[in-house]
Amino acid sequence: MSDPRILTLRVLRSSPSEGLAPHWEDFRVEEAEGMTLFIALNEVRETLAPSLQFDFVCRAGICGSCGMLINGRPGLACRALTRDLGPVITLAPLPVFELIGDLSVNTGKWMRGTAERLQTWIHAQAEPDLTALEAPMEPALAEAIYELDRCIECGCCVAGCGTLRMREDFVGAVGLNKIARFRLDPRDTRTDEDLYALIGDDTGVFGCMSLLACHDVCPKGLPLQTQIAFLRRKMARTGL
Amino acid sequence: MRIVYTDVLVVGGGLAGLRAAVGARRRGHDVIILSLVPPKRSHSAAAQGGMQASLGNTAKGEGDNEDIHFEDTVRGSDWGCDQQVARLFTHTAPKAVRELAAWGVPWNRVEAGTREVVMDGRRVSLSERPEAHGLIAARDFGGTKKWRTCYVSDGTGHAMLYAVSDRTVAEGIPVHERMEAIALIHDGTRCHGAVVRNLVSGELSAYVARATCIATGGFGRIYRVSSNAVINEGMGAAIALETGAAMLGNMEAVQFHPTTIFPAGILVTEGCRGDGGLLRDAAGHRFMPDYEPEKKELASRDVVSRRMEEHIRAGKGVKTRFGDHLWLDITLLGAAHIDGRLREVKEICQHFLGIDPSRDLIPVRPAQHYSMGGIRTDAQGHARGLRGLFACGEAACWDLHGFNRLGGNSVAETVVAGMIVGESMADFVESASGDLQVSTGLVRDFVEAEQARLDALLQGKGSENAGELMRRMQDIMTDKVGIFRNGELLSAAVEELQALLVRSRQIGITTRRPGANPELVTAYRVQKMLKLALCVAWGALQRTESRGAHYREDFPRRDDAQWLKRTLATWGDAFQTLPTLTYEPLDVASMELPPGWRGYGARDAIEHPLTAGRVSEIAAIRQAFGHADRFTVQQALMAYEHLVPERFRGRNARLEEAS
Amino acid sequence: MASSLEQSPVVSPVAGEPVRNAALSRPRSRLAASRWPARLDLLQSLSGLLLALFLIAHMFFVSSILISPQAFHTVARFFEGAAFLAEPRPWIVSCVVGVVMALFILHAWLALRKFPASFRQYRIFVEHREQLRHSDTGLWWIQLWTGFALFFLASVHLFGMLTQPALIGPYESADRIWTGNMWPIYLLLLFAVEIHGSIGLYRLALKWGWLQGADPLAARRRLRIARTCFSLFFLGLGLVTLLAYVQLGIAHADRAGERYVPHKAGAKLARQSPAGGLEFALSRRPGE
Repeated sequence: MSDPRILTLRVLRSSPSEGLAPHWEDFRVEEAEGMTLFIALNEVRETLAPSLQFDFVCRAGICGSCGMLINGRPGLACRALTRDLGPVITLAPLPVFELIGDLSVNTGKWMRGTAERLQTWIHAQAEPDLTALEAPMEPALAEAIYELDRCIECGCCVAGCGTLRMREDFVGAVGLNKIARFRLDPRDTRTDEDLYALIGDDTGVFGCMSLLACHDVCPKGLPLQTQIAFLRRKMARTGL
Repeated sequence: MRIVYTDVLVVGGGLAGLRAAVGARRRGHDVIILSLVPPKRSHSAAAQGGMQASLGNTAKGEGDNEDIHFEDTVRGSDWGCDQQVARLFTHTAPKAVRELAAWGVPWNRVEAGTREVVMDGRRVSLSERPEAHGLIAARDFGGTKKWRTCYVSDGTGHAMLYAVSDRTVAEGIPVHERMEAIALIHDGTRCHGAVVRNLVSGELSAYVARATCIATGGFGRIYRVSSNAVINEGMGAAIALETGAAMLGNMEAVQFHPTTIFPAGILVTEGCRGDGGLLRDAAGHRFMPDYEPEKKELASRDVVSRRMEEHIRAGKGVKTRFGDHLWLDITLLGAAHIDGRLREVKEICQHFLGIDPSRDLIPVRPAQHYSMGGIRTDAQGHARGLRGLFACGEAACWDLHGFNRLGGNSVAETVVAGMIVGESMADFVESASGDLQVSTGLVRDFVEAEQARLDALLQGKGSENAGELMRRMQDIMTDKVGIFRNGELLSAAVEELQALLVRSRQIGITTRRPGANPELVTAYRVQKMLKLALCVAWGALQRTESRGAHYREDFPRRDDAQWLKRTLATWGDAFQTLPTLTYEPLDVASMELPPGWRGYGARDAIEHPLTAGRVSEIAAIRQAFGHADRFTVQQALMAYEHLVPERFRGRNARLEEAS
Repeated sequence: MASSLEQSPVVSPVAGEPVRNAALSRPRSRLAASRWPARLDLLQSLSGLLLALFLIAHMFFVSSILISPQAFHTVARFFEGAAFLAEPRPWIVSCVVGVVMALFILHAWLALRKFPASFRQYRIFVEHREQLRHSDTGLWWIQLWTGFALFFLASVHLFGMLTQPALIGPYESADRIWTGNMWPIYLLLLFAVEIHGSIGLYRLALKWGWLQGADPLAARRRLRIARTCFSLFFLGLGLVTLLAYVQLGIAHADRAGERYVPHKAGAKLARQSPAGGLEFALSRRPGE
């Protein structure tokens, strides 16, 4: 077996609370078998830079906490295997989101804002009767809803969106996907008119410039390209 | 000193905490949720396979009801659970699933007609009733008599968490993110809220509340190999323990999940086996039927994990330089099934192992997965020993799971307990005992004491390395307080952990900044985690029997005569190095289901002297009621309906019972 | 979208108490939402689509010079209504140009909304594009710059056609291109318009989800290939056509300003070259 590679993690460090401007700092770690950026970054923190900030929670590609720019592209660090990357790996925090420090950004605040703005919950007319049989739903429809419900709000599409980077009031693919999800759901009684009120302008679906980086960087492989196009058709028809 | 006042403070933004918050809010009370991370990042999202609720919609679930779910749960717990709580739970679980359905969870639905499934390694065809078409479907899980686990592909926890989290947004409940409760404010009998540290600015503030609910999940990270998220460090249980008044129940009851990918410890759902997946050894042999002819791969988790480790010890595992593992084989399910129902599993295999599970075997080995133990509460979720403190979900020892929980019962517990605790907190807040009677002087004392502890770490001259202590603790727990336990190993573990606890008082850190400071966080958390680890190890050493997930090689039999009781741990004096253990007996005479054989696993339990009497008593009651309906008989055996919040009373409709 | 106070409280059938729950009320904003964003978005796409279709037709019309000057003359006169009217009326061309110009201005105005609105936005996008190295993001940047160039290049051309519709013809156009020194503008215009148009059509298909088929990613790959073929074909055709005009312009330079008259020109052409059309264009070298 050949000697393990020595990886250089080039991290964009910053600490806004201390007024520390962004600057690159290199850390060298020895590559191990099956090493992910989760493992590598923890090793850096344990041995080289105890103050290094980053966010991991599930470390299994499920929770969406660890989105960051890996060699310039948004991705989940926990499941980025170092063997798929070169010997020098640049890591930067996701743009758009409020910077907390180093690789840690406040996606939670942004996503909560999106949820409030788009009212991403089922709007029903009445409280369910919990003792009665549930309302039936076509199996295929339930699966189609789940397909869109798989979004983990990691922020990769937000960071990859050129439109959103220029215009921060743009709702982004994450928001449009949620509208597509609730539109599909018969339990939500909102009409297209109601949804138009939420996304029928240039901060909504008509602001999308179809750059499609959202689709291409989405770690969950959500069908953002077709969903946004679909919504655009529906909303254009509604607004006409 | 900043003080935030609220009616209800919920610590933890996972499913249990969010649902409890919604309940209290809907009763008209102000609620604030504290969360280490954005709520949708909580570890609830990682629950894959599903949630148990006896809807009985599918062909293999037909005839299911609360009674069968109750019995499965009690047997799964190895009779360690609180049977009234199990009743309360199985009664409410169908309501929880239906509520979640109304809130938008896209449960997989029954497709009428015939389809092919894999059962016991063979393809068989199953026929679903036309009248069930479109109702919520269920899959098979371990330790159950019926297919009862409602699911959303293998992203059930994710779908549930998002629906409930969005519901909290709809209710306008504020979530204070990246906030950590580091101590409870209390006067020895009444909890008044928490001292909270802002993880970004480092600032301490006091949240004063009439009711405080801990829903911080489990403490799996005291182990080195765990399926748990890195935030599952048990801080909620730890701060409750540090009050000296609240108590932790059954901390030695730690579940090891049979199938986590090797060596990373990432979970692959029990649904893999529920849907027909098999366990194989190095020779490709399906070994589970040799050990467990009744339930095979689908015995309860404690049994399967133990059998796997036993098989590895017999030299049948696959040897690698990281250690030995076994194989999980889901290739027989076919690519279409995996793409539809097990897609998270597929993604995990692709990204972390570089394999395609529809063609390749998955390397697995059991790893720490769940904490049955936690803050001991009553059936309403009210903590023992501290009024005004509540707990729900994995952080609590409600005690639904006893010494082993069934797959699919924990994610169900989160929402069910959340529903119940939300109501009981509202009741409490509305009652006179919920009045706020706290002096700001007491609040100040607590905040200042915590600030002093942090300052001591930040400015102190300690020489111990927090990360080093953490690693050592995790190694000890994994190596010595694992699946197979014995007196010798446990004594060594307790001794070493005590030494670590003493050393942890001398931690020194290099990063001195008061704000976001991961090193400081590790330092104050490892001090608390060591106490939890000691509760586990010391409780395990004392419990000289084997029950559920707690297996003692030197005491391999379940001993109902001596050990049909719950361990309660308290930590009265900050400087003691061992928890104080007391025991809470379980009353055989009032059990609906007296101890017996689980239907799988060992049959050699030592009987409790009252068991035989209770068995005949139950037989007499059943006889006396003759043809009365099951609800009447149940009521006579063990009344529990008084425990059900009014909002959740009423019988659950089912297809066959409706017609 | 605050819920209105006028709405009656929804009564919970479970507990029989009023639910003070914003979640149950519907957003009452349908009156507030303007329909114009939808219309403007449609107009932007529609104007772009029409311009692209016009461009395709235009390219084929002007490339008729490759068949023969006579062919182009016929096409040009056709647009002056020669087929229906007693004599050609160049103002008809002006009208067509006017419509195209209106579409062009509309399209430019609508597209302007998407341009970076400040230097800050501009810089952010540049940084983003360089960092991301993502093909479709890069395409938009190209479209932005070609669109910007078209503000000027296309305007010059359109203005010329609008004001001098009669001067469309084999000699007239060739003289304008060569003797009138317009060829550099036409060369730039050709690249800008073809690249802008092909990317525009490609992005239009993605934007509205046309031709996406069962596998949208595969559809995108197919669309990319189609876009490249489109670009190459029309750039090739355009270059050859431009070359033909340049050749003709050089040959006609000494008689610049002379109008094309079919029978006369035919005789002259026969004298100058045995070949017409494409062969004519390719067989001649500048300065010959």
